Amino acid sequence: MISMTAEPVLETNRAESESAGLAVCLNQVCKRYDERWVLRKLSLNVPVGSYLTLLGPNGAGKSTLLHILAMLSQPTAGRISLFGEAANRPNPKLRARIGVIGHQPMLYRDLSAIENLIFFGKLYGVRRHAERAMELLERVDLAERAKSQVKTFSRGMVQRLSIARALMHAPDLMLADEPFSGLDVPSVVSVTNLLAELNAEGKTIILTNHDVRQSLELAKRVVVLRQGHIVCDQPIHLADPEAVTREVIGQ
Amino acid sequence: MTHVLQQIILISSKDLRIEARSRQTLGLVVVLGVLIVVVLGLGLGPEQVKSGIAATAVLWVAYLFGGVLCFEKTMAVERHDGALAGLMLAPVDRGAIYAGKLLSNLILMVALSLVVTPVAVIMFGFDLSASPIGFVAIMAGGFVGFAAVGTLFSAAVSSTRLQGGLLAILIFPVSLPLVIVSTQMMMRLFGDNEPFNTTGVLVLIAFDAIYLTVSWLVFELILEP
Repeated sequence: MISMTAEPVLETNRAESESAGLAVCLNQVCKRYDERWVLRKLSLNVPVGSYLTLLGPNGAGKSTLLHILAMLSQPTAGRISLFGEAANRPNPKLRARIGVIGHQPMLYRDLSAIENLIFFGKLYGVRRHAERAMELLERVDLAERAKSQVKTFSRGMVQRLSIARALMHAPDLMLADEPFSGLDVPSVVSVTNLLAELNAEGKTIILTNHDVRQSLELAKRVVVLRQGHIVCDQPIHLADPEAVTREVIGQ
Repeated sequence: MTHVLQQIILISSKDLRIEARSRQTLGLVVVLGVLIVVVLGLGLGPEQVKSGIAATAVLWVAYLFGGVLCFEKTMAVERHDGALAGLMLAPVDRGAIYAGKLLSNLILMVALSLVVTPVAVIMFGFDLSASPIGFVAIMAGGFVGFAAVGTLFSAAVSSTRLQGGLLAILIFPVSLPLVIVSTQMMMRLFGDNEPFNTTGVLVLIAFDAIYLTVSWLVFELILEP
């Protein structure tokens, strides 16, 4: 197993007050579905401004972890805090600080791009939502298609719009669950650049991915999950792609 | 309170905008409702057609089946492309999501009744002028309770593969007391020409209050992204 040294990894029972400066603080988090433990005593600290990629085989618990961080499901045991606030239970204030890009775009196909953004902007209580929506559409290169219905978009365009939706309320923490799946090369480049820009602006990014090499190119820190455990946690500059791959496939 | 109300209206107006653009639900529901009224009207003998009892019963059949389709379609919109997860990620109370979907369903059911009722009036010679206020009050009471249960079950069923038939199987038995009270009141009013009394409406309101409260409480527990 690769040593877990470079970035701070949580010791158990650390006081919540110490989590200042941390975007995410997981303490012995467990998740069980029926009789199956998906996450087992997972502890992890993610400082504000990090760019972390979660790797692991299917069923390792990556998406479950993102669901828990997004407060879409609750852990069976353990403590979670986001930005120093307890997040074990749904917390509207914290929700407003999280943006999620999922497997699915979370958009309404029959609404136009701008209508989707304005709808979510209003839900989050964004002021000047129409201007903010237009600004984001320009940022993701969809301004010209602002009034087109989402169902007329290509997969890459939908994913870019999905990022704009996630950014509508200017979140501090971005969670991306396999944001590159099903995208062609230009779209992957476009989404990669967008995520890098966001991280450069100080946003904390946690994304799950299957592609080890791609993950090592874009993130600053890599965490490998296997069977609900963290088996590797390293900064990119110390990570050996082949060793990380071996951890992912469990050799 | 105002903020929650704004969110409810926002969710509902989004549903109605999608419906206005796709015209999938209302088109289907109206055709189904009209077909039920026409087919049953043609199937009944001339004596029965002239009775107010037949008209009220047939109307309720049309409303109920049309309503089930409305519930299914408005929730299907949220299941497409994971839109429901987007809604659940927002700092919106689950109760507001429930109320928004309920409002959309009620508006669609009212739209259905605005088309189907005149067809029944023509087919059955149904004399609404006998008690228009009574008709509206009973319909409103029936719709609210039925939509309350329907919105809840459509959310539960939408995450399973057994949609369609399962929704009807779940909703009809649960809303049976409400349907019985509503149809009985309609029959007394238009079949037996009894005067409109508010006691029946109060019973309907009591049912509505129970269905609304339970559904609102349970909705949060069953809603999954």
